[in-house]
Amino acid sequence: MNTQDWPFDTVLVANRGEIAVRILRSIHAAGLRGVVVYHAADRLSPAVAAADVAVEISGETPVAAYLDGAQIIQAACESGAGAIHPGYGFLSENAPFARAVAEAGLIFVGPTPEQIELMGDKVRARAFVEKAGFPVAPSAIEDDDPATFVERAREVPFPILIKPAAGGGGKGMRVVRDPADLEGEIERARSEGQRYFGDGRLYVERYIENPRHIEVQILGNSHGNVVHLFERECSVQRRFQKIIEETPSPALTPEIRSKICETAAGIARSAGYVNAGTVEFIYGEGGEFYFLETNTRLQVEHPVTEQITGVDLALQQLCIAAGEPLPFSQDDITSQGHSIEFRIYAEDAAAGFTPTTGPVLQWTPAQGEGVRMDSGIAQGQAVTAAFDPMLAKLIVTGADREQACARADKALRELVLLGCKTNTSFLRQVLNHPAFVRGDVHTGFLDAHPELAQEPELDTLSLNKLLAVAAAMTRPMRDVADAVPTMHAAMGEWRN
Amino acid sequence: MRHGFKFQDSEYDVGLSRSADGYRLHHDGQQWPFTLQPSEDGGWILGSRAAGAQVLDHLSVAVDGDDVHIHLDGQTYTLRFEHALERLAQLNEAGAADAIRATMPGSLISLAVASGDSVKKGQTLLVMESMKMETTIVAPRDGIIAEVLVDAGQTFDKDAVLLALEPQDSDAEASA
Repeated sequence: MNTQDWPFDTVLVANRGEIAVRILRSIHAAGLRGVVVYHAADRLSPAVAAADVAVEISGETPVAAYLDGAQIIQAACESGAGAIHPGYGFLSENAPFARAVAEAGLIFVGPTPEQIELMGDKVRARAFVEKAGFPVAPSAIEDDDPATFVERAREVPFPILIKPAAGGGGKGMRVVRDPADLEGEIERARSEGQRYFGDGRLYVERYIENPRHIEVQILGNSHGNVVHLFERECSVQRRFQKIIEETPSPALTPEIRSKICETAAGIARSAGYVNAGTVEFIYGEGGEFYFLETNTRLQVEHPVTEQITGVDLALQQLCIAAGEPLPFSQDDITSQGHSIEFRIYAEDAAAGFTPTTGPVLQWTPAQGEGVRMDSGIAQGQAVTAAFDPMLAKLIVTGADREQACARADKALRELVLLGCKTNTSFLRQVLNHPAFVRGDVHTGFLDAHPELAQEPELDTLSLNKLLAVAAAMTRPMRDVADAVPTMHAAMGEWRN
Repeated sequence: MRHGFKFQDSEYDVGLSRSADGYRLHHDGQQWPFTLQPSEDGGWILGSRAAGAQVLDHLSVAVDGDDVHIHLDGQTYTLRFEHALERLAQLNEAGAADAIRATMPGSLISLAVASGDSVKKGQTLLVMESMKMETTIVAPRDGIIAEVLVDAGQTFDKDAVLLALEPQDSDAEASA
């Protein structure tokens, strides 16, 4: 599309960090101007440097500034932006914000407010998907008809999971494998629910053993066209957050792959979905899969899809927002190679993945064949506790999974961030674990292998190296050593 | 007591001296010679010997105050420098000790006392060398050697703490 054909010539990015940089890249690739809003804490960030215009916003906290829709819309109007791209997080799935953007006469780069409301609400989305005839996990909800609850629960294929209706965080959940135990376990779960949440109401659903998290990237436009761009597997999670994502999933056969991708596209088509979105599924060892939820935004892990399909998803979002038809049909989209993303977090894996802070004294991204780094940090900045601890993403692509893993190991070894502890060596531990190498992981994998987070033992030689370098780099120690050279040292200097 | 580094919840006593073509790390009763030179890409090349062969490691280093951040062999480490004086201050919270300091930069020729020795005023504590002259350091008063912070051959800066002297049971008597 020529620049003059766009309904807007300037796009504001309502985000920060690596995703702001990444979206600006596509804005510039389209020949458009890019505006970014920033809080003073991000003044030195690469996003501010990459933008054509940067507008400062403020708030009680730095995060509050990025959540202040009114201020951001005002910045868009004043900077001449005709569209707002929300990135992920912050205001990306906020229907009132999407509505306010439209009311201000601007284009929201994302789905309609109604789609955000429908698909963003887990219960409504599940009901919609089930009604449209797509697979959701078989379940029985006590509230639907308390008198028949036990009977209905017995009809759910075993094993099943009993959950308190008011629950969360795994409390009061019970797995039942034998129908004979059902009534006793229901009573126990009820009393636990009563104790933890003051609410004994329950529901049961099919329990998936060692589930994988499989999601499908979709693109839909206002002309009613929907395509999928294959799946991503995001089973390696810590504290329910993805840290490694890859495509294709090592678990899927070609038959199941096309089935799960077609299901996702079908769900999006039923919803008349517009723009980029992700349909998430829970996938069982037996090949069964059930709808989990929909994310109505560009995902953190979208780059792996870009790497194997060659489609610039952020650019497609802009084209869709501009009302353009999709430049490809489903048959045009092919998957080539294997791509894995590693999320670089400022955190101490050995200390329970607690966030770390510090100055960015040196930042040397990984380079090399098949290596892409989406980063939002720069030397001279500080990593603070004000924002999410994800600093950058390493995306590594190879002809096959083995090559991608080999390149990833090299890249994780070579990237350097000094001043703030990160999870890179933990990611390498995971990458080299035999189960990961086999592609044999599930969402409980990291919980089952806490040893992966431990600091590796240091041998005497490595310790000597570290102490030697530290001593030689420490001024008071070096000065003392240099002040009075030994006779040998003095002779050495004469030789020079 | 010497300079030290805090690293992964442990403390390491460390000394540094010049060698023929680089430095020697003094640690755990051993001397470990090494060289450290800047590399073309802004990093550092650490040279050492292992099993008789010369080994070169490429590493990145950043110093921030007392923190030394090192990226070595795919791992990142942070060591915190602990100045000998500060360590001494921590050790003697009551402030009952005297620090015997170097009057000028130099190296230690010989040590006449050991930790725990009782000394009399004027007694020789150590002999140091500086500017090719030997200087004898004597006890400024009666006391007990609380800590020895230097080894023979080790070099130090002006005002470096060499020995810690504590009063002879005067505190114990006073509190008894």
